[in-house]
Amino acid sequence: MKGMVGLFLVLAVMVVVPALESAFAAGDEPGEYLDRRVIIWNLFFRMMTVAFVVGAVVAGTIIWQCWRFRESHPKAKPTAYEGTDW
Amino acid sequence: MSGHSNWPEWIYVGVIIAIMFWVGAEAWEAERLVEHVPEDAETIKVTGQQWFWTFEHEDGTKEIGELHVEVGKAYKFEIMSTDVIHSFNIHDYVVLLDAVPGRVNTVWFAPTDVGQHDIQCREYCGLIHYNMRGTLYVEEQST
Repeated sequence: MKGMVGLFLVLAVMVVVPALESAFAAGDEPGEYLDRRVIIWNLFFRMMTVAFVVGAVVAGTIIWQCWRFRESHPKAKPTAYEGTDW
Repeated sequence: MSGHSNWPEWIYVGVIIAIMFWVGAEAWEAERLVEHVPEDAETIKVTGQQWFWTFEHEDGTKEIGELHVEVGKAYKFEIMSTDVIHSFNIHDYVVLLDAVPGRVNTVWFAPTDVGQHDIQCREYCGLIHYNMRGTLYVEEQST
């Protein structure tokens, strides 16, 4: 489990640090010529990708939980507060 | 509750926080890029009033309802209003900013292609709001 935590930590740092660096590097220097349509739509598409991936993971997790922890699952075990009359 | 572990929850929380940081940083970076005006941008004063747009170039030239610019140059719009809140929009170039009485809002863009584009008020501003339109003419560079 510690390995997993370490892996996620490394992945998070790899993703977050470059993004934060470029944002913090912002100063009052004059801007460069760019096509705002490209910047804005790129941001939109990336955010939509993240939103749909997160939505799929969350929905998938909920579906799996409902399937795995249903009473009729072969490996279902009663919890302490459900009593022993199973 | 033997054998219970909180690690999945903590990993979940960590991933969510990392994603939110990433989303925030990306949005911040995009905002920084589109808000920094190039040094050589020409300033155009844009005034919204019921129900038309007025444009004033740096050389004093004024236009009403239409705006002529040159391809490949950067333009900074200083947007203001003389009466109610309007919103200056060039849809094809993703320019959209409110014109608020008593304030000067700025936005810049650099047209990439020769052509005509619609200018439209995007904030309901009264009876003729629907027709508070203009035309952007992007022309070849004169020099």
